[in-house]
Amino acid sequence: MALLNRLNTYAICVAVAWLATTAPARARANQLELAVKATYLYKLAPFVNWPAAPAGTPLAICVQGDDPFGPMLDRAVAGQKVGERPVVLKRLARLEAGSGCQIAYVAGSQVQSPVQALQAVAGASVLTVTDEAHGAARGIVNLVLDGGKVRFSIDTRQADSNGIAISSKLLALAVEVKR
Amino acid sequence: MSPQGLPLSDRRLLNVARACAVGLLVLGLLLGLRAEAQHRRQTERQVEVQADILAASVSAALAFDDRTAMAEYVDALRVNPRVAAAAVYDPDGRAVVTFRRSGVAAALSKAGPVGARFADGRVTVTRPVTQQGQRLGSVYLETQPEALSEFLGRHGALALLTVMAFVLLGVVTAAVAQLQARAGELAAANLRLREEMAARGQAEEALRQSQKMEALGQLTGGIAHDFNNLLQVVHGSFELIRRKSDDTDRVENWARNGIQAAERGASLTRQLLAFSRSQKLELVPFVAGELIGEMRELLSRTIGPDIELFFDLKDDAAPVLSDRTQLELAVLNLAINARDAMPDGGRLTLSTRVTEVGPGDPLLEPDEYVELSVADTGEGMNADVIERAFDPFFTTKGVGKGTGLGLSQVYGVARQAGGAAKIASVSGRGTTVTLMLRRSRESARPTAARTAPQPVLAPAPGCTVMVVDDEAQVRQLARETLQLLGYQVLDADGGQAALALLETTTPDLMLLDYAMPGMNGAELARLVRIHWPDMPILFASGHADTEAVDAATRRSCASPSRWRPWPRPSPRC
Repeated sequence: MALLNRLNTYAICVAVAWLATTAPARARANQLELAVKATYLYKLAPFVNWPAAPAGTPLAICVQGDDPFGPMLDRAVAGQKVGERPVVLKRLARLEAGSGCQIAYVAGSQVQSPVQALQAVAGASVLTVTDEAHGAARGIVNLVLDGGKVRFSIDTRQADSNGIAISSKLLALAVEVKR
Repeated sequence: MSPQGLPLSDRRLLNVARACAVGLLVLGLLLGLRAEAQHRRQTERQVEVQADILAASVSAALAFDDRTAMAEYVDALRVNPRVAAAAVYDPDGRAVVTFRRSGVAAALSKAGPVGARFADGRVTVTRPVTQQGQRLGSVYLETQPEALSEFLGRHGALALLTVMAFVLLGVVTAAVAQLQARAGELAAANLRLREEMAARGQAEEALRQSQKMEALGQLTGGIAHDFNNLLQVVHGSFELIRRKSDDTDRVENWARNGIQAAERGASLTRQLLAFSRSQKLELVPFVAGELIGEMRELLSRTIGPDIELFFDLKDDAAPVLSDRTQLELAVLNLAINARDAMPDGGRLTLSTRVTEVGPGDPLLEPDEYVELSVADTGEGMNADVIERAFDPFFTTKGVGKGTGLGLSQVYGVARQAGGAAKIASVSGRGTTVTLMLRRSRESARPTAARTAPQPVLAPAPGCTVMVVDDEAQVRQLARETLQLLGYQVLDADGGQAALALLETTTPDLMLLDYAMPGMNGAELARLVRIHWPDMPILFASGHADTEAVDAATRRSCASPSRWRPWPRPSPRC
């Protein structure tokens, strides 16, 4: 037992020491990931065609559920335009078909789980974006980490059912395309 | 040759050629520049299109910062050897992916302004990367500088064409200028030639004139000399007769001498007239060989004892159409020439034979000819003399020795007999003169008429003869002679006087001179014949246009030609 205890003590020591050294680095990496993901949200827009998108109307990017970005996203989106359309940001507790979103980042919350959110806009012309970091629910675009880089997979069946056309250029960049 | 030295048309030609050359050069240059500008635009456009394709390809990768994908797209450009460098920039102008072929020193770190540029043979293009109006960054493409061979390949043909056209123009212009110069020279040469020809013509005319004068001088000199000799004999005879008229025997002798001299003068006159063709030829067919045979004695006496005479007459009695007297004279002339050519003696051969002349002879028509040759073994003639031997008045003998009419008469006889005469001679070995006489189809007439009829001195009392002559002395001589013969004589000094006399008296015979001032004998005879168509008319003239006399006295009872001094005529009334 004494050995076990000693071992436990050792393990705890090592764990503490590892935590003590890696915790700040992981925090920085997460911040970078989030920043990249924040820019991805509006960078997707030029490669996506929504049906009958009225010209001049703002392009709304919605964040459903617990917002992981915070002011970072506001800064990234500030002053951005997709074509002639200014980009606006909406933070919603619940995502609905009539929420007026073109791009919806589904983070999920106690109020509405990611699956529920996705179901809410199924068939509506909303480009749903999910993040593997928030569970197994998959939207049209699913952000993943691949070799330390933020990349995405695309589900064209969902896109088709939502009436959204995705540029082949974007498909070419995807780590996986679900057809 | 300076342009100032050229004629006007040549200068104009040169100016046109220069203008064409300049035009060609300018045109070639303009075409080259235009082709070059077009090529640049085309190349720029091609590179722009390529950059646009790159921009479209990398747009998503650029948006999501997928450098691996971008590098793949950029690397795909490597296969195009013309691409020297390529780069992809983010919206802030920072280079994201670059590609630079080895040896290319392009600064790719910062994006340049959007656009295409052509510099130093290379095209640099910067194109924006946009997606649905969203500016995502830019791409940059740079081509390799164009190789000289490519440049030459593009412009070489045109440059070569221009240069060739230039050279061709030069060559053609030079050739034309040369031709014009030649034409000018030819024209000048032609003009000179014409002038020289005209001058030569004048000189020849002058030479002919002087030759004519010389010949005339020679002739008149010769005739004067001959006549002077004869006149001396005649004059001397009369002088002796006047002084010693009582010495009857010697008077008879002197008178014979005088008459012989006068007959020699008549012979000389005949020769001259034969030459001047005023004498009518009596062309009758006869055998030349017989004629020559009859001349044996005469020829023998003429050539003297030092020269051997041979005859070779083989003309088989083939007749020729000629004038006996003239042919006789011709043979005699040739014999005399031969004699003169053989002062130290020699051999004279007269031969005749029949020969056939075929077609193609330059002088003679194809027919049978009698060839009459007179060959001597004398000194011969040189080519120059042979060439001129038949010319009238040409003689190699001294003044008074020859008239230069002998061979000319020979030639005339031969031509009149439808043939020709030719001379073959070797200097120092002798001369052969050959007469080609055309064979006559008529048979020869007998030569019985050779002996002249004896003058009949029968008195004709009651017959009246009218003598018309402008020369008083001749008139007087005629009157006295006729009166001596027992005729009654009327005389008139011209045609008008004769016609006036005829109004009152009608003579039995008219004796007319031919050459008279006012109205000549032939004209008078024609007028007389109108009123007295049966009037016998006798011409007694040393010179007469025998054609005119013939025409006027066609029905005359008398022969129209008689030569002075007269043989004693005996008209019968």
